[in-house]
Amino acid sequence: MTNESDNIVSVAHLTSGYNGDKVLDDVSMVARENEITVILGASGCGKTTLLKHLIRLFYPWSGSIAIFGQEITDMDEPEFNELLLKIGVLFQNGALLNSITVSENIAIPLEQHTTLPATLIQRLVLIKLGLVELSHALDKLPSELSGGMRKRASLARAIALDPPLLFCDEPSAGLDPVTSESLDRLLLKLRDDLGMSMVIVSHELASIHRIADSIVFLDDGKCLFCGPVNEAKSAGIAEIDRFFRVGEFG
Amino acid sequence: MIIDVSENSLTFEGDLDLDAVGEHYKQLMDWLAKNREKNIYLDLAHLNYLDSAGVALLDELYDKAQKQGTRLHFVAAPNNIQATISAFSSRHIQKPEPKPVFPLFERVGQWAYQIWLEFVYLIYLVSDAFYFTVIQLVSRKGVRKGEFSNQCILIGMDAFPIVALISFLIGFILALQSAAQLRQFGASIYVADLVAISMTREMGPIMTAIIFAGRSGSSIAAEIATMVVTEETDALKSMGLNPIRYNLVPKIHAISMMMPLLTVLSMLLGILGSMVIGITYLDIGVKPFYNQVVNALILKDIVTGIIKSVVFAWLIVLTAAAYGFRTRGGAADVGRATTASVVTSIFLVILADSLLGLIFYFDPTSPI
Repeated sequence: MTNESDNIVSVAHLTSGYNGDKVLDDVSMVARENEITVILGASGCGKTTLLKHLIRLFYPWSGSIAIFGQEITDMDEPEFNELLLKIGVLFQNGALLNSITVSENIAIPLEQHTTLPATLIQRLVLIKLGLVELSHALDKLPSELSGGMRKRASLARAIALDPPLLFCDEPSAGLDPVTSESLDRLLLKLRDDLGMSMVIVSHELASIHRIADSIVFLDDGKCLFCGPVNEAKSAGIAEIDRFFRVGEFG
Repeated sequence: MIIDVSENSLTFEGDLDLDAVGEHYKQLMDWLAKNREKNIYLDLAHLNYLDSAGVALLDELYDKAQKQGTRLHFVAAPNNIQATISAFSSRHIQKPEPKPVFPLFERVGQWAYQIWLEFVYLIYLVSDAFYFTVIQLVSRKGVRKGEFSNQCILIGMDAFPIVALISFLIGFILALQSAAQLRQFGASIYVADLVAISMTREMGPIMTAIIFAGRSGSSIAAEIATMVVTEETDALKSMGLNPIRYNLVPKIHAISMMMPLLTVLSMLLGILGSMVIGITYLDIGVKPFYNQVVNALILKDIVTGIIKSVVFAWLIVLTAAAYGFRTRGGAADVGRATTASVVTSIFLVILADSLLGLIFYFDPTSPI
């Protein structure tokens, strides 16, 4: 049995959508501290929409979202900006600023939100790029990188401030199996060594098996399951069984 | 973080995280700079938490110590702290080689070669644009149906209100300013001649061109540049479509038709603006003013104005395309391409206007 205070993210009865069309229907989920929680489900089921609600890029129609125990739906802007310093986000397409180099991209949060001297910032940038195996791309522009490299550089930016909570939108999508596996190993290392908690949107089954402590399964905007991976498989929910079965056999 | 400092050792306690590092960085560096011991011991036994900023600080201390001939020893690090140091230390990461700096002569050569490449690219672009613009008149392939009408509306119809208003006001201001001078000599009626000739020969084409450069030129450059950076042009190529033909040619057709039309409209509205001053301020009747305008103008004035407008239209659209298709990178590069396109096309329009003015109206035999 887990304690409610372990919940780093708590969503309760979240309903939301675009232009009057409901995308999330009464979704409730939790992500626990020092765990990797994977949100999964078929394409268009609302995974990314849910993730964007967690960083308040979208506002819900109803329901509540608490991060680190603080309700964010009615939080004022300065307070929420403070909270964002404890959150890193890896976007689906990387979202690096294309007009500046990779190292400058990673230095942005360090320069804007810390008092560290420039030499130490440069060293931290090198550490983060070393972690994602991109130290050779320090002075390259994002447009000079491949899709997978851009995603890794974006992850380096997301963890620049060693945030205790990391949100990732499909980190392995579009990556080759070897790069995907090394990215997963990095995520596990961040969880184990820095105690980072993560909420990851993914439908890459191999990756889910490697990294997930818990899963949140969405189907057509509804949350069908939220809990540990092994319980999900034995929960007897047809949609989840089908997802894992089809995924395993390709 | 509590630091216990002695001559050759330093003890860390608590958390060595981002905040602690920012707070104590200078103090630690100063301490190390003053310390000339052969061996210095960093006691990490009481550290609870170390993040990557803390590891960066330890690396920085280690490197600095090594440079000043001191050996730094990390002592009694608990397993979790040791694991964090090995996971995040930058000491084993190889920095990329710095980019070579070429000598001046080679840089000039590279620069000249770059200019040559740009020139070749421009030649290709202009010839492709000409070729497909002519081909498109007889073959409808390679362009979306209805795109020409669509562009006529976007480039021409939507620009009508602003062109009309600005031209009317230009004629109005020209008449007002010249009336004050001509009135002194009893030559008020010549306001009509002055405005009619300047609007048809110069102000009409050039004002319309400047509005088009700012409005349509910028939007064409931004659209094409965005298509390039989001790989839409690559997608067109992969479908066997030529991006110049698909995207640019309808715009060239539309601007080649709409610009002369709007230029004529600009001439008329400029003259109308001056007529308002003629009637209300100079007490010239509508008919005498109209007769004066008709007598002042010759067909050449209007024809040269229209020819200029077509030349300007091509300059604007080709400049926008040249910048758009050459864009690489992202959002900021799209912005740069757009700005450069507007500035360059306005400059080229004024340059072309001077040259065309010389070609059409310079007569060395005529007495000054």
